[in-house]
Amino acid sequence: MLHVNNLTAAIGGKQILNGLNLDVSAGEVHAIMGPNGSGKSTFAHTLAGRDGYDITGEVTLDGADLLDMEPEARAAAGVFMGFQYPVEIPGVNNMYFLRTALNSVRRARGETEVGARDFLEVSKKAMDLVEMKEDFLYRSVNAGFSGGEKKRNEILQMAIMEPRLAILDETDSGLDIDALRIIAGGVNALRSPERSMIVITHYQRLLDYIKPDFVHVLVDGRIVKSGDHTLALHLEANGYADFENGLGDASAQSLAGAQS
Amino acid sequence: MTSGATAASTSEVSTETQIAQITALRYPTKRDEAWRHAPHTVLGRLSFGSPSAIAGEVPWEIDAQIPALDGPRIVIVNGVVDHARSDITALQVGLDLSTTDHRTGRVADRTAVDAGSGIEHVADVFVALNVAFSGDRVGIHVAPGRHLDAPIHIVMVSTSAGTHNTSCSKLAIQLDAGSSAKVVETRLGESSEFGGANTRTTIALGDNTTLDHIIIQDVPATHVHLSRTEVTQGAQSELRARLFNLGAAYGRLVYEVQLAGEGARADLSGLYFGSGDQILDQQINVIHAAANCTSRQAFRGVLDDESTGVFNGAIDVRPGADGTDAAQSNDNLLLSNRAEANTQPRLEILADDVACKHGATVGQLDDEAMYYMRSRGIPATEARRLLINGFADQAVHDVDIEVLRTWIAQRLGHDDD
Repeated sequence: MLHVNNLTAAIGGKQILNGLNLDVSAGEVHAIMGPNGSGKSTFAHTLAGRDGYDITGEVTLDGADLLDMEPEARAAAGVFMGFQYPVEIPGVNNMYFLRTALNSVRRARGETEVGARDFLEVSKKAMDLVEMKEDFLYRSVNAGFSGGEKKRNEILQMAIMEPRLAILDETDSGLDIDALRIIAGGVNALRSPERSMIVITHYQRLLDYIKPDFVHVLVDGRIVKSGDHTLALHLEANGYADFENGLGDASAQSLAGAQS
Repeated sequence: MTSGATAASTSEVSTETQIAQITALRYPTKRDEAWRHAPHTVLGRLSFGSPSAIAGEVPWEIDAQIPALDGPRIVIVNGVVDHARSDITALQVGLDLSTTDHRTGRVADRTAVDAGSGIEHVADVFVALNVAFSGDRVGIHVAPGRHLDAPIHIVMVSTSAGTHNTSCSKLAIQLDAGSSAKVVETRLGESSEFGGANTRTTIALGDNTTLDHIIIQDVPATHVHLSRTEVTQGAQSELRARLFNLGAAYGRLVYEVQLAGEGARADLSGLYFGSGDQILDQQINVIHAAANCTSRQAFRGVLDDESTGVFNGAIDVRPGADGTDAAQSNDNLLLSNRAEANTQPRLEILADDVACKHGATVGQLDDEAMYYMRSRGIPATEARRLLINGFADQAVHDVDIEVLRTWIAQRLGHDDD
């Protein structure tokens, strides 16, 4: 479904991604782990379509070239990114924002738009999923939300948008254990055979709750090792030192290439 | 300097005196702080004369141009009351709505017209011109203890036809003790030619009164709109002013409040929304002249293309105005790198135990917010519109009349399409 081939990205002349390869099939959950500065967030943003990167390589979703699309076109194609730092938008009502987002995507796909009353039903179901109270709908987007509330709002959006591919960028950062449990519960409920997920995290902790099919280690802008969920446990015990200083390079090529 | 025109009744003042006042007051220049950003060459092209009724030349249905409010309405075209377009069937008990015929000088109402504002000595040539050339003056007088729920709508239209291109209008509002009212002023223009309007509103609020005063200035980009309001507030009175400056070649909105009675409260907020090469100029002045008064100024500007926004806001705390609580904020959103925001807070504090704060910001559309919204599938133009409206909404939300709030929101939304 998602095919990433030899992806490089630089910002302001600084190379961040150095030939990243990844294939994600429908229904799979892939975790990407790596030390700070390894390019995890940059990878997420190149998929979502942030401006400002010089990019080479190839990224396709169901055969369509993602790199040529504006961010809104990628959303319409089924890409959703949960932000590490969700943006506060004072003055824009959360419910209005969510409905505009959903209907924009539906319009782009040639589907009928969802009316206000139907949308309230949809959003209430999604809110139950992440244990959010209804008054969140009537507040400005993320404005004055706590860290945990912002992350729950991201998962709420994901539940409403029903993406083909969800990229969760450090969704666990800054969460206490209760918030982590709620968010992981929401994410797990949204797993389905048609939906793929890329879960980006620095810590193994999140993967206790969201069990990935594959774990990849990202160092210096490329995947240096891939394995199943036990790889995360190995990282938890030993850190990333094994994979830094070029030690992982040899295995990177073969493992990443074999992954599909 | 020769005394400028004051808010006192003008009927006894001779024409020669008025002309002497006008000639004694020079036109403002860039050296005058309050006029620094005005287009002085353009102001020099304004021409004044006796009011001329050309109501028939307003080509559009007025109802399509203004918010539909359920109270009485007076329409003034080029300074002259247009009785056919006015509607005073919704008059309420306790309200005297009067007009003074500019030809006969006859006051239709005994008490209402020319409620003095009490603002001392306005040495401003445009005030003198307004005194000399204003047409049928309109007066709103609310009797003691009366509470008027339905908003009173004053619609001013300028068309810049006839022997001179600028019309003058005068409105006086007086609320007697313990009363409350809502007054909406909508200022419109109709012309592809250069023209202007010079309006003046004087307001006297008695003790324990409440006034909602909303001004919507939305004239063509060929027009100059000079608007001036002077308010004097009695003890424990409350003013809620919502000021929208939405379009004009030069849109000037002067609003002066004198808190003259103890415990008075003035809450002023506004929005200016410029495009093209418009200059939208807010000159706000709140004078704390009595103890324990509260004032708020919260103004927002959205400036596109090569437009210029000006906020010149004063808080003047006079000796003896102890216990003053005053705050001012001015936030600007620039939508183009050629747009310009000028913000100038002026604070003078000559009393004790005063809380006085102010802050100003100038920013651009948040790239991160744009990206966030687009990543949710919202097209860039729509995301931009949402962000702009989100910024402007603070001023719109402050309007307590729902019909008006909806109308302004639509007016702003339509502009961005």
